[in-house]
Amino acid sequence: MSDQTENEESPLAGEAYTLTSEPKLIDGRRVLGVVPGKPSTGESKDLIDEDAVMVWPHLLVRHAVAALAVMLLVLLLALLFDAPLREIANPNLTPNPEKAPWYFAALQELLAHFHPLVAGILVPTGILFGLAALPYLDRNAYLKPRHRKVAITAFTAFLGIWIILTLVGFAFRGPNWGWVWPWNEWYGEL
Amino acid sequence: MKVMDRVRHSMMGRSFFRAPDRVTTRDVAAGHWANFFLHIYPVKMRRKEISFRYSWYLGAISTVLFGSLVASGVYLMFFYVPSPANAYGDIINLETQVAFGQYIRNVHRWSAHLMVLAVSFHMARVFYRGAYKSPREFNWVIGVVLLLLTLLLSFTGYLLPWDQLAYWAVTVGTGMATYVPFIGDRVSEILLGGPAVGASTLIRFYVLHVALLPAVLVVVLAVHLWRWRKDSMLDMERSEP
Ligand code: HEM
Repeated sequence: MSDQTENEESPLAGEAYTLTSEPKLIDGRRVLGVVPGKPSTGESKDLIDEDAVMVWPHLLVRHAVAALAVMLLVLLLALLFDAPLREIANPNLTPNPEKAPWYFAALQELLAHFHPLVAGILVPTGILFGLAALPYLDRNAYLKPRHRKVAITAFTAFLGIWIILTLVGFAFRGPNWGWVWPWNEWYGEL
Repeated sequence: MKVMDRVRHSMMGRSFFRAPDRVTTRDVAAGHWANFFLHIYPVKMRRKEISFRYSWYLGAISTVLFGSLVASGVYLMFFYVPSPANAYGDIINLETQVAFGQYIRNVHRWSAHLMVLAVSFHMARVFYRGAYKSPREFNWVIGVVLLLLTLLLSFTGYLLPWDQLAYWAVTVGTGMATYVPFIGDRVSEILLGGPAVGASTLIRFYVLHVALLPAVLVVVLAVHLWRWRKDSMLDMERSEP
C-alpha cells in the first residue's frame, strides 16, 4: 500500500489522505478515510501472544480482581488472627530465644555459624549488591529456561538456601538457639 | 451505561473526563492518556504480558498491599504516641477502646508480612521470566532498592508496639550493626540514638517508619512504574534457536 503512494507522488497530495471533516462510521468504527471499510485492527481474530491489546479494560480488570483477592485475604487474616502483643518492653529481661523478625531469620541463623562480620555485614551487603548487579553479570539474551541453565541454577540454589535458612531460624530454633521441632515446641514469632 | 453516557456528555462531564466518546480504539487510548490514574499504566501491552502466568500480578499485589498499609497506618497514627511511656499503653487502648482498633492493627500487621512475601515473590517471578534483561536492567536495580525499603519499613515498624517482642527483635537486628568494621559502634549509636534501644531509638524508628521511608518508597516506586510503562512495548524477545 505505502509502496504505491511513495512511488507516485507525495502522500499529502494523494486523495486518500484528504481528511473529511466528518469521520465515516463503518461497523460502528470511525474510519479516517485512509483504509476503506476495514477496521484498523485487522480482520484476523486469532489470539496472538505478541499482539498489542488495550490495557483498559483487559489488564485493569485483571488487576482489579487480583486486588480484590488480596484484600479479601487480608480481611480474613485480620478477622481470624490478632496481631501479637507481649508484655511491655523490659530491657532487663532478655527473652530466650531472642528472635529477629522472620525476614531476618536467615541472617540470624547464619550468625550462629559464622563470625558476625561475615553473617551480619558481608553476607547481607553481598546479597544486595549481587542482586543489583545481576542484570549486568548475566548478559545472556535468551529468555527460555533451557538457554539460561547457569543463571537459573545459581538463582534457584540461592533462593532455596535462603528459604531453608529462614525456615530453620524462624521455626526450628528454641532456647539458646538450640534445635527444636516446631510440632513439639513452637518459638516462631510474627 | 445510558446514565454514564449522559454524565459524560454533560457540560461538567466533558470538563471532568476531557476525553472523546469511546467509539474507536483510538478514543479509548485518548481517554486513557487523559486520565491521571490510568496514565500510570501503558496504553497497550502484549497479550501474553497481561496474563496471570506472566507476572502473577505480584507487582500489582505489592502495590495494593502498600496502599492497605498506608490506609491502616494513618488510622493507627491517630491513636499512637511514640514514647516509651505511652506507646505500649496506646496499643492496648487501641485494641480495647478504639473503634475497629484491633481490626485495623491486624490489617496493618498482616499486610506488612504479606508485602514482604509479595515483593520477594515478585522479584523471583521477574527473575524466572528473564524480565531483568536488556533494556530492563535498571528497573531491576530500582526493584532491589524497593525490596530494601520494604524490609526497612517492616523492621522500623516492628519496634513501635514497644513490647518484649518488638524490643528484643530490634535489639538483635540492630546488634549486627556493631560489627561494621572500624565504625560499628558509631553506626549502632546513630541507629539507636544511644548505647541501647531506648526512647531515642523509638522516635528515630517512628519518623523513619511513618515519614521518611514511605516518602522515599513512593518516589522510587513512581520511577519503577514509570519505567515499566515506558518499557512495556519494547522488544525483549530474542531469536530463540
Ligand atoms: C515495593 C516493592 C515493589 C513494587 C510495589 C513493585 C511493583 C511493580 C509493578 C506494579 C510492576 C508491573 C508488572 C507486574 O505487576 O508484575 C513491576 C514490574 C517490575 N518489577 Fe517491580 N515492584 C517492587 C519491587 C521489585 C523488586 C524487588 C524487583 C527486583 C529486584 C522488581 C523488578 C521489576 C521489574 C524488572 C519489572 C518489569 C517487569 C516487566 O516489564 O516485565 N520490582 N513492579
